[in-house]
Order: sequence, then C-alpha cells, then structure tokens
Amino acid sequence: MEGRPEEDSELFARAQRGDTAAYEEIVRRYQQLAFRTAYMITGSAAEAEDAAQDGFVKAFRALDRFRPGAPPRPWILRIVANEARNRVRSTQRRLGLELRLAEGFRPGDAAPSPEAASVAAEDRARLLTLVNALGEEDRLVIASRYFLELSGEETAAALGIPEGTVKSRLSRALARLREKYEVAPYA
Amino acid sequence: MPELEQHLTALGGAIDWPPTPDLSKVIHLPARRGGRVPLAAPGWGGTVGKSYRSKWAMAAAAAIVVAAAGLLAFPPSREAIAGWVNVHTIFRQVTHLATPSPQPPGPLGQRLGLGGLTTLPDAQKHIPWHIAVPSTLGQPDEVYLQPPPDAPAQGEVTLIYATRPGIPIAGQTGVSVMVTEARGAVDQNFFGKMIGPGTTLEAVTAGGHQGYWISGPLNEFFFTDANGNFRNETVRLAANTLILDDGGTVIRIEGNLTKTQALEIAASLS
Repeated sequence: MEGRPEEDSELFARAQRGDTAAYEEIVRRYQQLAFRTAYMITGSAAEAEDAAQDGFVKAFRALDRFRPGAPPRPWILRIVANEARNRVRSTQRRLGLELRLAEGFRPGDAAPSPEAASVAAEDRARLLTLVNALGEEDRLVIASRYFLELSGEETAAALGIPEGTVKSRLSRALARLREKYEVAPYA
Repeated sequence: MPELEQHLTALGGAIDWPPTPDLSKVIHLPARRGGRVPLAAPGWGGTVGKSYRSKWAMAAAAAIVVAAAGLLAFPPSREAIAGWVNVHTIFRQVTHLATPSPQPPGPLGQRLGLGGLTTLPDAQKHIPWHIAVPSTLGQPDEVYLQPPPDAPAQGEVTLIYATRPGIPIAGQTGVSVMVTEARGAVDQNFFGKMIGPGTTLEAVTAGGHQGYWISGPLNEFFFTDANGNFRNETVRLAANTLILDDGGTVIRIEGNLTKTQALEIAASLS
C-alpha cells in the first residue's frame, strides 16, 4: 500500500518512540483544526497561532500520557483550547469573534440562478450575523459543532466542559438562534 | 436534521477563516534522548507531571539574557541561543523600530514601537502586576502599554521621562529616561554566555532586589516570558541600562545615566 497515509495510531506510536518526523506529520495533520479552534476562542489570528504552537509543544512533551489507540483529536483540542483560554485570561481582554463569509462561496456543484444565489447569500449572511450576535457560550458551542464540525466529545474537549453540558448548552443555543432566525427572517 | 441545523452546517463551509500557518515549520521540538521522546525540555527535568509543573514554576522565574551589540562577529541564531540556554520552545522576535537621528516627528510610542499611549491608572487596569514608579523621577510624562503578542506574555509597560534635571537627553530617543516593565526574572548564568568585551556587566542590589548594571552599548536582549516562550527584543537606547529583578517583574531603566543615578532611580521604585 505504497503512498497510503499513515494511520494516526501509527504516527503517535512512532512519535512516542521519539520520532520527531512523525510528530511533525501529526502537527501538519491537525494544525488547521487546532488553529481554527484557537481562533474561535481568542478571536485573534496572532493569538491563535501562538496558542496552537504552544499547544503542540506541550502535547509533544506530554506524549507519554497519550493512550495508544485513543482518538487524537479530543486530546489535541483539549491542550490547544486550554492554551487559547489561558491566553485570553492572561491578556485580560476578550476579542469579539466576528466570523465572516468567504467571498464567492457557493455550496454544491449546481450553479443556482442569480436570483436564487442572491437569496441564498443573503440568508447565509443573515444567519451568520445572528450567530455572531449570540452570547459567547452559545456562539462557541454552535461554531464548534457546525462550523468546525466537532463531535460532542471534541466540543467538550475544546470548550473544557462535560459532554452532557455540551448537549444542553447546544440545545439552548439553537433554541435562542431559532427564535431569531425563524421569527424575523429578514429583519 | 432540522432546517436550522442544516443551514448552520452549510454555513460552516462558507466561513472565511484566517489562513492556517504551517506550524510544523516553526515549532522547535526537543532533541531525542535515548530513543525516547523527552518528557520535558532539557533543563526542566523530572517526569511529565513534575516537569509540567516545573515548567510553570520556571515561567514565574523566567530568564533574561543580555547581548552586547557588535560583540559577536555573527549574531547568534535563535536556535543557537536556545541551545546555549537549554530552552527549546517557540521563539517570537520583536524588533522595535530604529531610532534615527534627528528624531522624526510623531508620537514617541509610535516611533519606538512601545504600544499605545495610555495613562498610569489605565495601564494598571490591564496589567496583573503592580507597576513600579520611581519616586525620584516623579510621575511619568507618558505611559505606553503594549499587549501580547507584540509584548511578552501579560504585556509590557513603558514609562517615559522626557526631561529630568541632571540627566542628559538621549539622542536616540529624545527623552531622558525610559523605564520598561514586563513579567520575567533575571538569570545571571545567561549574562556570562552573551556579554563580551566592550560592555561591562556588574551585579548590583537596589532596593533589596538583584539587578545588573550594564555599562556600554546594547542593542538586544533575550528572555523567556511568563509563558515560557523565548523572546528577543531590541533595546532602544545605545546607552547604559540597569536591569532589575523586582520579584518576578523585570524592570529596565535605560538612558544616559550614571550608575549612581540609575541605582537611585531603582531604589526609589514603589
């Protein structure tokens, strides 16, 4: 199976044996997830980069605590997100996260009519505006689950809360968002 | 899946995230030891748990390194410095703006990259440690606050004393004295490795705190900040500098000062 991407478990096993090249591959594999998670928490690309860097260095030092066969994403997310939260605390400031839409984004392959595309774009923009306007807890749990596409376990790791709390918090956040989204569609 | 969740999932693909940096190229990992991943950076020792705690204890006792300009034929690479001081972590470099003479117009903070102009009470609100002010100089004429990442972890405060009797104005900045404060600690072991001929270093005590009087031109110093990250900053004055370890806060007093003047200023910090 030449060219087959190495499994995470193999990479972690090699890294735990001291193979830094394997760990660098782990960093490459998870850096986008780590960076975006840190960005979601800090609201700053520079702070997110620092948090992700520090998180990966700390994860490297703690590799022996990683249980072989365990899913790596929650483990990495927990370390990086904790670093991001520490940075927010240490700077004693919280940058408001203002997520934006990518220009020219069009989901799917089918080209919609100009009218349909316009409506879809307006709707996406309105929904994102509503998400940005949510309280921090609501925004973080929604962004984790739907924008970063984290599982419940991963969201719990990223937000530093129990998985059960993720479910209840997400349910309340969706209810608040739905109320605004459906009651006043184009207000 | 309900409609709202479907829309949110679709929206996720349309988010304009900042570009992800290639972290694999900037992270410096500790070297291997005996075929095993070291559980902590060299010099931090111990088991994983202990080393982790030790690391944060070390963060409180972060180290500072002073390098003299022109003392080394070739500036040491950041990796080389890391090797000397057994620090294997992330580097950040902050190069303050050059200080041409004559001074260009504009706010001092902007010219020297000191951060935002503020007031002492406002700076104190944003800084977790008590900002020490030298009573011999009185209230500063200007106060600047630089937050991370351009400053070390927990920020950096600079007090500006434009003119003070008996202290010449430094041509490089147009002010008499600059007092800079950030979290960190002095480690004299670093000085011996970085200081060379042309600049003298003397251990001093001022106000009960350990410090170092560096006589001669400096242009750089290195230290690990409160998060354990190695930093490199340029010193703004080609003049004398007193570096003081004030219980976890590194205070730099820079200007065309005599040693006696600098020690008097340091002793009056409160």
